[in-house]
Amino acid sequence: MTAWDDHWMRLVSKEVHGERGVLVFEAPTLAEALEPGQFLNLEAPGRLLRRPMAPAVVAGRVLVFVRARGVGTRSLLGLPVGASLRALGPLGNAFPLPAGRAVLVSGGTGVGPMLFLARRLAALGHEVVLFHGARDASEGFLLPFLRRSAAEVRFFTEDGSLGERGFPTELLPFALRPGDTVYAVGPEPLMEKAARAAQAMALPAYVSLEAPMACGVGSCLSCRVELRSGPVHVCKAGPVFPAEEVFFAEPA
Amino acid sequence: MRNPLEVEFLGVRFPNPVVTASGTFNYGKEYAHLYPLSRLGAITTKGTSPRPIPGAPPPRIAETEAGMLNAIGLENKGVDAYLKDELPWLKAQGARVIVNVFGESPAEFALVAGKVSPYADLVEVNLSCPNVHAGGLPYAHDPEAAADVIRAVKDATDRPVLAKLSPEGPTLKVAEAAEHAGADGFSLINTIRGMRIDLETKRPVLGHKTGGLSGPVIKPIAVRLVWELYQNTDKPILGMGGIRTVEDALEFALAGARMVAIGTATFADPYAPIKLVQGLEAFFKDRGDTWLDWVGGAQVR
Repeated sequence: MTAWDDHWMRLVSKEVHGERGVLVFEAPTLAEALEPGQFLNLEAPGRLLRRPMAPAVVAGRVLVFVRARGVGTRSLLGLPVGASLRALGPLGNAFPLPAGRAVLVSGGTGVGPMLFLARRLAALGHEVVLFHGARDASEGFLLPFLRRSAAEVRFFTEDGSLGERGFPTELLPFALRPGDTVYAVGPEPLMEKAARAAQAMALPAYVSLEAPMACGVGSCLSCRVELRSGPVHVCKAGPVFPAEEVFFAEPA
Repeated sequence: MRNPLEVEFLGVRFPNPVVTASGTFNYGKEYAHLYPLSRLGAITTKGTSPRPIPGAPPPRIAETEAGMLNAIGLENKGVDAYLKDELPWLKAQGARVIVNVFGESPAEFALVAGKVSPYADLVEVNLSCPNVHAGGLPYAHDPEAAADVIRAVKDATDRPVLAKLSPEGPTLKVAEAAEHAGADGFSLINTIRGMRIDLETKRPVLGHKTGGLSGPVIKPIAVRLVWELYQNTDKPILGMGGIRTVEDALEFALAGARMVAIGTATFADPYAPIKLVQGLEAFFKDRGDTWLDWVGGAQVR
């Protein structure tokens, strides 16, 4: 894997819909080095610390999917086209390859690494199914990106306003078959349900964890999580982990 | 030609005054592929204790306006793993190393200091860690307790000892007590305790509830304390607190810092320490004066 460095990324286009959006960057030195699952520590305009985000690489461009969570993510969504940012990367590990069919489940900004993985696996000749769970039709702007992934795409909204109604994880147990590998990135309940569905059929499953971090490179020790095998720092040991290693929070 | 950045500090020669602050550069390995670690004045390693410490519950960091809070909880791999995996490697890079040590008692500080002495250029004593024998109050809040630690460390090492001072508690009294106990120099400031509370959950953002504030927001406090200490001691000072730019470093020099450490800035930009070295080199090129000419140069009306 390529050693990380600080790279310039230039915003060439963006699509912002309320609290959500996708930023499309030209970053040739990063685009060729990134593997699906790896992340960037991305400068946020006017903020002290960078923001860790797992992007997609599509047609040589680096796509960062952002949801406004605070001042930093808001400043990213407000970045004017043509502006440049610095990003540390590629950081962390990548998704392992599947043996057979890959079943991908994404929610929220987890769509970035899942889209990236779908495209990579399809290019390698794997059969890929991608389930995306959205709250409502406001995430419809993701559909054109997902449809270009060469995967079979199933789009769900909680209110049924677009695509299928409900959660992708409700259907997942019925869609899985022996030989599949499951990948899930999104809110913790989504990853936990996907992991359980995989476990019920003894299928391998991988998730990507998030943790507040400052440096992103293993120095500040902020992003420690407890796994079944012991404590690790997400930035260096992850962000991708086998699902059976992860303690998911008890349902409320 | 003479190097205008060269600093002699407690008998050790440093090619420049730029040091990484403890806990912001781990043990250096993460950054060794970006630039030679020997290009920096010195590297202060992550605080090391007699045994491994798992640290505080997450979340461990939170951003603030012009700063950040951290509560890592002194996580480290313990002195034996540090000696085996990190310190010889770091010395082999040609880096000069300041070893930050702490423990639960003066004897524990001394144990770590003794073990690292063969490799340490300087030993830095973290007086901000909790004194478990005083209800968890930091040593830095009690001049006598701080002096006990310094005395024990001085007995255990032949290397020069820096007392790392907290901006909280009676900083100057602790400095005076540490000096009487044998401290050879000082580093300051450590972080300042702060807190953030989430409006939605109504809970503290940090797992440890409170954490140490660092970054540009604390720089004026650090400059003030370095300046006050400089009036009160002849011992050399390693100054830190919100330093990123050449201007920041020169301001600390004027206040009395003979060397300066860069900390939180490295999280935002891993090249920040080497950029500061290069920036100072550019500043002093063809000027005629040197870094040391600036040290303690603040004019008092």
